[in-house]
Amino acid sequence: MDFFIQLFSDPVGFYQSHELLIAQIGINSLLAISIFVTLFSGQLTLANVGFMAVGAYTTVILSLHASTPLAFNIALGALLAGALGVVVGLPVLRLRGVFLAIATLGFGEALRFGVILNLPITGQGQGLKNPDADPLGGVVPILVALALVAYLVWRLAGSKLGQAWAAIREDELAASSQGINVPLYKMAAFVVGALIAGLAGGLESHINFFVDPTEYGTTRAIQVLTFAVVGGISNVLGPILGATILTSLPEVVRQAADYRDVINGVILILIIVFRPQGVLGGGGLALIRPRWWPRQWTLTRARTPADA
Amino acid sequence: MPAHLLTLSGVTRHFGGVQAVDQVSLEIEAGTIFGLIGPNGAGKTTLVNLITGYVPLQSGRIELEGRPIGGRAPHQIATLGVARTFQTIRLYKHLTALANVLVGMHSRRNHDTLQQIGLLPVFRRGQLQRVAEARQLLSRVGLEPDRFQNRRAMTLSYGDQRRLEIARALALGPRLLLLDEPAAGMNPAEKDRIRELIEGLNADGLTILLIDHDMRLVMGVCHQLAVLNFGRRIALGTPAEVSADPAVVTAYLGTQAGEEGATAAPGAAGPELEAPVGAALRVADPNESVRPPDAPAAMLEVRELRVGYGAVEAVKGVTFSVDKGEVVALIGANGAGKSTILNALSGVLRPHGGSAVFDGLDLGTAPTHRIVSHGLIQVPEGREVLARQTVRENLALGAWSRRDGRAVASEIEELMERFEILKKRRNLAAGQLSGGEQQILAIARGLLGKPRLLLLDEPSLGLAPQTVDLVFGVIQQIHAAGTTILLVEQNALRALEVAGRAYVVETGRILLTGTGEALRRDPAVRKAYLGG
Repeated sequence: MDFFIQLFSDPVGFYQSHELLIAQIGINSLLAISIFVTLFSGQLTLANVGFMAVGAYTTVILSLHASTPLAFNIALGALLAGALGVVVGLPVLRLRGVFLAIATLGFGEALRFGVILNLPITGQGQGLKNPDADPLGGVVPILVALALVAYLVWRLAGSKLGQAWAAIREDELAASSQGINVPLYKMAAFVVGALIAGLAGGLESHINFFVDPTEYGTTRAIQVLTFAVVGGISNVLGPILGATILTSLPEVVRQAADYRDVINGVILILIIVFRPQGVLGGGGLALIRPRWWPRQWTLTRARTPADA
Repeated sequence: MPAHLLTLSGVTRHFGGVQAVDQVSLEIEAGTIFGLIGPNGAGKTTLVNLITGYVPLQSGRIELEGRPIGGRAPHQIATLGVARTFQTIRLYKHLTALANVLVGMHSRRNHDTLQQIGLLPVFRRGQLQRVAEARQLLSRVGLEPDRFQNRRAMTLSYGDQRRLEIARALALGPRLLLLDEPAAGMNPAEKDRIRELIEGLNADGLTILLIDHDMRLVMGVCHQLAVLNFGRRIALGTPAEVSADPAVVTAYLGTQAGEEGATAAPGAAGPELEAPVGAALRVADPNESVRPPDAPAAMLEVRELRVGYGAVEAVKGVTFSVDKGEVVALIGANGAGKSTILNALSGVLRPHGGSAVFDGLDLGTAPTHRIVSHGLIQVPEGREVLARQTVRENLALGAWSRRDGRAVASEIEELMERFEILKKRRNLAAGQLSGGEQQILAIARGLLGKPRLLLLDEPSLGLAPQTVDLVFGVIQQIHAAGTTILLVEQNALRALEVAGRAYVVETGRILLTGTGEALRRDPAVRKAYLGG
């Protein structure tokens, strides 16, 4: 309760005392957006955490061994994750549904156990100490990156690219009859998701004193999916909301912090049973659309009859 | 300059041992409507899938304006200007009608990701133009944009969905439009509107390849027709030429046992057979029956049965009866509603109105398992055998709900004795059997449920003529053993041969009824099939 009282009565003080939580919400929102992009194109991939690890390790290794500026390190980490996305995507994107999910989950684990734990430069099982760590200075860049990415992804939905993704999600066969190159556009979604996840990884490494491989395991991969499912995937605000709710939950109910995973699981089940389209899905956004907001700005997305 | 828009030469595709499309050659002239017809399983949709690249070509050539397109991916062929609709509607269900059409413009659209990032309208001029064009396309197919553009595709009525799919295909800016059964499941008024649309599009210069089972539509709008049967092109010409072609009549109505050629088909041989029209009784009053009035109560009594799928009413009030010991056939062209009637009897579908009573049991409300235990067993269309299980296992599973295990085992043995082919194949996976053998297996499986009334849905579907003989031999054998049979068939002549009485079904209504013998000679039967 204190949490909300402070949030509304003293927003500045709230921001100062919860900076790390807010940074974590930002990171998780970015991750949720990265999985949203692939889900938007109809692909259930769980490789995002692996790409995140690529971004994080690249950033820290560059900080340790090169004197390049931090922004460059983070950008390079994201690009490297995107490039790896192409390599991983080539074989696995032939798969669909749960098979794709398992293959991409396998990629994450292979990266962790096969590469990170064996390469001396990654510190192996010990992880790496981050010389540039700046927990408080990292918050603003994260929020700026989140705003930028969310805006771009939102606008993308109405572009040729976004429309093709929506068509593929709805019916691949019909999409190809409209001249949509299905494998190419699926790959594009996969790579954009990898880029965003890589960016999130780089930004997160900046607020942590340490990167270590246990951060990037299966549990987190599933958690990221949970954000998107809870929030809803009809538009980009869904995953952000889902990440916000689930990340701040342990803070809101401190007493229950020990049961965090249990509560997350219960929330996931309740959402799937009672609101499978997610909190914001299926017209949820339309409910909060102000009157002055031109409807055609969200023209390409389906709305409920009530909104039309 | 090539004279033809689309040229197919020797196009061949087989799936396993089945020749789906066999050495088909045809040419479509620019600006014409070309019809493609043929009985169920003739290979029409496979041919469309070959043209549009969904199914890879095995041999032959497909050329669009002299340019080979065989072997290209579907999206490449679409980009060349070949648009299609699908036999089963494949809209983007969760997107709005407008968005569906906008996606259709994909191949004509430049990448505009950067423009989309700007919020000011000036950045989105292209988008506004596309929306205007999409609205025009919606009204072109008869969907008023203001009413429909923001509705999700899945919320539209069936006929509107068909129209929306055409609008989406038109958004491609096609040179050739392939329509795969655009009028399927539509009522006559809707069909007339589709017909007007097709003719209007053609008048605007669009070349159209039309597949449909509605002969009135196809014969009415097409300039040229090709007829497929068992994957082969058996006729080509104008609608008048094709409907007079003996081979076409045979393909649609089937042949009688031991007879070849079309002279056996009703009304096919010309005026001398046109005479005995009155031999069959026309049904003016649905309560009128060919049964003698003093006959015992019927085993199955169907009155004014109405069945539909959502908004589409497939069966519009049929009345008929089956007496104990009879073989009764429901015949009629594809899409007439025959299988829907059977599914309503067996409890798979629930009727909207009317009644169906089987030996005191109301089939409209009884749970499916009650219907089965009451002795009404259906052998479904397409056989539905479990492909990976052996013949023996399939039979054992057919008796799964029975508790008298020992009796079942001996019955299975008995069935194997009766149908020798099953005994020979007992340990083979059912998927490896031929179509006819699978059909016999499906029937045998039905018999294990101890039917008093056996419903057979299209037992000859997709079978070669010799195999049809085999299956019909089995049907006669079962009838002789005392089982009452209600048979649904496209192959009218074969069905009329075994059936004591038959009903001709057309667009959800009973058109004619009579004894099998009388209907066989009635030219009206041919009309029901070919729309002549």
